[in-house]
Amino acid sequence: MPSLLVLALLVPLAGAFWVAGPRGYARAVALGAALATLAVACALVAQFPAGEDAEVAVFDAAWLGGEHGPVDVRLSVGLDGLSLWLFGLTALLSVVAVLVGWDAIDQQAPLYYRLLLLLETGMLGVFAARDIILFYIFFEFTLIPLFSLIGIWGSQQRRLAAVKFFLFTLVGSVLSFLGLLAIVLWDHQHAGTGAMTFSIAALTERLAAAPMPPHVQLWVFLALFAGLAVKVPMVPLHTWLPLAHVEAPAAGSVLLAGVLLKIGAYGFLRFAVPMLPAAVVTCMPWLLSLSVAGILYGALVALAQSDMKRLVAYSSVSHMGFCTLGLFALNPLGTQGAVVQMIHHGLATGGLFALVGMLHERYHTRSIAELGGLARRLPWAAFFMLVMTLSSIGLPGLGGFVGEFLILLGMFDRGWAAAPGPWIVLYRILAVLAVAGVVLGAWYMLWLVERVFFGLLREPRGRAAAPPRDLNVREIACLAPLAVVTLWLGLAPRFFLDRMSPTLDRLTVEARQTLHDRTAPMVTSPRALREGEAPAEPIGQGFCGADSWSRPRESIGASPRDFRGICPVSNGTCGWFLGADILKAPGETESGSAGTQPDEGYPGSGAPMARQAPDGVRHQGPFS
Amino acid sequence: MFDIPALLIVIPGLPLAAAVATAALGRPVLGPRSHVPVVLALAVSLAASLLLVERVGQGCRSAEGGIGFERTVALWSWAEVGPEDAAVESASPAFRVDVTLRADPLTAIMLAFVTFIALLVAVYSIGYMHGDRGYWRFFSYLGLFVFSMTMLVSVSNFLLLYVFWEAVGLCSYLLIGFWYERPAAAAAGKKAFLVNRVGDFGFALGVFLLWTTYGTLDFHDTVTAGQVTGVGILGQTVLADPARLVGGATGTAICLLLLLGACGKSAQFPLHVWLPDAMEGPSPVSALIHAATMVTAGVYLVARCMPLWAVSTGAQHAVAVVGAFTALLAALIAITQNDLKRILAYSTISQLGYMFLALGAGTMLGVTAGMFHLVTHAFFKALLFLAAGSVMHAMGGVIDIRRFGGLRRRLPVTFWTFLVGALALAGVFPFAGFWSKDAILVALHEQAGAGQRLFLTLYLVALAVAGLTAFYTFRAVFRTFFGPERLPDEAGGHAHESPRVMTGPLLVLAACAVLAGGVFELTHGFANFLHKTPSVAFLGDGPDFRATKMGLSPSDAPARGRSPFSRSEKGTVPASHESAASHLAVAVLGTTLALGGIALAAVLYVFSPALGRRLAQVMKTLGLYQLSRDRFLFDEIYQWLLARPAAGLAWLCHWCDRNVVDRLVDWCGLAPVVVGAALRPLQNGLVQYYALAMVLGLLALFGALMM
Repeated sequence: MPSLLVLALLVPLAGAFWVAGPRGYARAVALGAALATLAVACALVAQFPAGEDAEVAVFDAAWLGGEHGPVDVRLSVGLDGLSLWLFGLTALLSVVAVLVGWDAIDQQAPLYYRLLLLLETGMLGVFAARDIILFYIFFEFTLIPLFSLIGIWGSQQRRLAAVKFFLFTLVGSVLSFLGLLAIVLWDHQHAGTGAMTFSIAALTERLAAAPMPPHVQLWVFLALFAGLAVKVPMVPLHTWLPLAHVEAPAAGSVLLAGVLLKIGAYGFLRFAVPMLPAAVVTCMPWLLSLSVAGILYGALVALAQSDMKRLVAYSSVSHMGFCTLGLFALNPLGTQGAVVQMIHHGLATGGLFALVGMLHERYHTRSIAELGGLARRLPWAAFFMLVMTLSSIGLPGLGGFVGEFLILLGMFDRGWAAAPGPWIVLYRILAVLAVAGVVLGAWYMLWLVERVFFGLLREPRGRAAAPPRDLNVREIACLAPLAVVTLWLGLAPRFFLDRMSPTLDRLTVEARQTLHDRTAPMVTSPRALREGEAPAEPIGQGFCGADSWSRPRESIGASPRDFRGICPVSNGTCGWFLGADILKAPGETESGSAGTQPDEGYPGSGAPMARQAPDGVRHQGPFS
Repeated sequence: MFDIPALLIVIPGLPLAAAVATAALGRPVLGPRSHVPVVLALAVSLAASLLLVERVGQGCRSAEGGIGFERTVALWSWAEVGPEDAAVESASPAFRVDVTLRADPLTAIMLAFVTFIALLVAVYSIGYMHGDRGYWRFFSYLGLFVFSMTMLVSVSNFLLLYVFWEAVGLCSYLLIGFWYERPAAAAAGKKAFLVNRVGDFGFALGVFLLWTTYGTLDFHDTVTAGQVTGVGILGQTVLADPARLVGGATGTAICLLLLLGACGKSAQFPLHVWLPDAMEGPSPVSALIHAATMVTAGVYLVARCMPLWAVSTGAQHAVAVVGAFTALLAALIAITQNDLKRILAYSTISQLGYMFLALGAGTMLGVTAGMFHLVTHAFFKALLFLAAGSVMHAMGGVIDIRRFGGLRRRLPVTFWTFLVGALALAGVFPFAGFWSKDAILVALHEQAGAGQRLFLTLYLVALAVAGLTAFYTFRAVFRTFFGPERLPDEAGGHAHESPRVMTGPLLVLAACAVLAGGVFELTHGFANFLHKTPSVAFLGDGPDFRATKMGLSPSDAPARGRSPFSRSEKGTVPASHESAASHLAVAVLGTTLALGGIALAAVLYVFSPALGRRLAQVMKTLGLYQLSRDRFLFDEIYQWLLARPAAGLAWLCHWCDRNVVDRLVDWCGLAPVVVGAALRPLQNGLVQYYALAMVLGLLALFGALMM
């Protein structure tokens, strides 16, 4: 098994060296390498066990130094429930990327395919790496091929786009690297003896056992944020994205949107959330606000575009906003929704960019105004366009719905009803705004479909001699897998969720625990839950006090699906929105009953919940 | 073999299989026979639905204990997130969605009439869509729609309800924009989708709020080995102990948000604007989706969630007021429209408002009347649309009632069936519409009699709408079928009756429009059956929990003379609640108004058109005519209040993105250039300068060391 993953990493690399000669030969080699990698990735997904926090295909060898040396940088790769999916997505989209430029690329084809395969190697490596140095090498390694792809095969403003993309990402990633080094150095300083380790797993474990002080975490987090937020991208660090997407060749756009944006979110989940939980929880209101701002802003800007590619690019900003929203909601629903959203966004947006590329190949324009009624001329293109559009606006049965719905459910976390007053109000407002973003999303995407594919036939005049043909077999083969996987993700998300949830649970448990300690220490902690301990408090100390509900609760079976934990909303308050009675409760809480049990059957008011951390330090909120 | 679970799977399963088969084989294989799979599947589904009604009836009779009758079938687990260990209380309880279907009388009724009308419409479409280049596509969409609609009424979970809620919306989008080359059709499809999205915004928030409030989204209780292991929102445990329902602000908010969703799908004010435009779709689609089935999903939702509404009087009143207002508004608009299908569309909106009004009464009587009207309306409105389609077919696509007239001799079957539908819609005895409309009026009258002033107003509005309905319906009848014969040029001079395959379904529906109401009402079969639905049975013989709630909050308790929950008669005829005399009075009043409306239409459009023109002139000078004709300017208002500002905001954001955000980034990019420019003079190439710098530097270094 280990050799399988190494093989998957080496095949595209070997292919990159093999590619040469005339175009026909070069692209055949590239396709072969990409397909072989995809086959290996499929095999890895197939044998990944469901329902357990596994790490498969681990390959580990000393590289620089060693266990006894001053540093211990290792050649260490492996896949867990998070990286598995992104690895698979990369392998799939790489095939699409090779196919999409099949005929369009006629200059320097060998170089083009060589760069494409190098890019694939880099992206696969980012997700497979288990060592910080290796991760960073692959991370930076993706930049160079993409920089060249945009700079050489892009459209009019390709130089500007390439430079902007490169510098923007590089500045961010250097700061991120500093942050990662700070983690390593801090760990080395505090772990005492032994070589300086760069192993992600070891660092995660040790930082969970002995966390950094919160203020240090905050600085390190800000450094990490600088690089990862650019990559995602989070508003307002997104302006490289439309330019790069628009100017890149179709394959570049597909991989950029489909895979490279995910690296940002992946980095947050891999490093920031498990290693710097206190900082993430402290910044949570800001991160969630930025995410929602991204959702709405991206959607609104997309609405004003006249260029198909730009529109899809801004839709990426909006959709990645959903992704970070779920990620920083720090609960299982939100995190899993975020990863599903990553997969879905890769498929749907990758497909949309491929389609726009195919239209561009036929009409040499990306302008929405110049096209219309193409459904009659290109029925297959219209079909795939509709599928990708519907998936990206979250139609049930397709992948987008699962991601968005889980993320939004996460934003309506029941536990948050116990969060300190002002924050819960903010979170509820953010959740409502995010749902409004879904409406906007439907607006611009359907507008695009209506304008380009429906209505009267409108084609640019005088450029093409013969009317363009519908998609050929190669193009259909390029889009069909994306549509099929999207459908699969929508109809049977359990297949995906079961294989990612234990890993995500492990990665987020510290952050959830921190959040929990700061807001609601009365209920079984996520950490205890994970370790399978019995609840520390008697069942029934539900959030915001089911006990305050006037009716004595009957035990119908000790299931969380029972109604305990219902918000005790007294009539006439708008407690549902403001997080139950928290706005009323603090006075009572702080003055009297901190640390004691809530009164039984306290009618009409919220449970006077003791907001006290186990260590006796009272937290007032995420910013305490 | 033919037990309830198997039937529940077969009913939606076959249309889906047929849709997939049609889409896969499509034009190359099936060609002009593309209708075969779907029609066959629908026929079997209909048989299965009727069998299901019988099975559920059997179950109702043999059921003991519990409230009403329900059976659930879990198919597969769709998603599960969260802690596995069910014994541990945690912040976020396990989120688990199983694809579970349910059978109870409400579902059985919905399934039966949906498949029945779908079958007739599919048969009709064989003739209507004949020769269209998208023939196979049409039937594929149709099968997909029936699958989604049957699933919508049989799932037992709010999330899945939302899923199929959106799925029927998608089918509606695809079918409205079926002739996608027509810009109006494409725009109408988009509009329908977007307006529904606004409704779904509310629906989704409602579902999220249900989740935070109840920790589950299931309707039913989960029972494992005879033990209730999970309490559903509308399950037996809750219905037996209504104090578990969350009332107050939360309850009201949930209901209002769900109502927003229902308003979207059922085209109620303020989200009614999409339905008239949806008439750009083929006529069979208008009949099936936009008159008989999909648009009733909102009514179904409210009826299904009646227990949630029962704890919130405010939300109940909201349903009634929205319904009444919409009914009146749409009826007023319908009076002056000239497009036959749009008249019917506004009529649909108005009648759906009627159903909401009935449900808003919040009593068992009201819910029964609303559902009863839903079924009879499905028959006669589908009939009217199909007949209108037949007119359109003969007129070469023209549907403007100003351009044709006197068609009753040329299109005899169409004329007679349309007339039957119109009489039923107007509510003339003994047509189906009479019985259901009467039931609604009785329900409102009862509430009004119980001392609720609001319902007195609503009752009067309902009566006014009854009169208006008769008037605009017969305006359309008289202008289309009476008077001197006029044909548009598009008809090509050989306008003729539609083929048998189209008139057949018309005749079947006409028979239903005549008989259904009387049969259901006089045998009490419909009411007795429906009352076995848990959500409905709850209203009648649930324990009187109003007092419990009252102990909590006197202010919230409804100021009613009689509690809807204290009634003890179980499964009795609605009419028996009222004294026979007052019921008769309501019936007579309703019929009189209907006949009055017809008479007025006859005077204005047949006997004395001059008078009609003069009246129109008067109305025009008052501005009322224009207001009605321009649909009270709702489209324009939304355009200027919502769409334009949003587009403006979008443009502003776009401008900002280019000129502020990106410019800032560029300035940051300039920083190295500026710093470089500032430092460049240091590298001026003069050796003396460098030597000076070295000396100074050394001095500074020494100085620092000395210190």
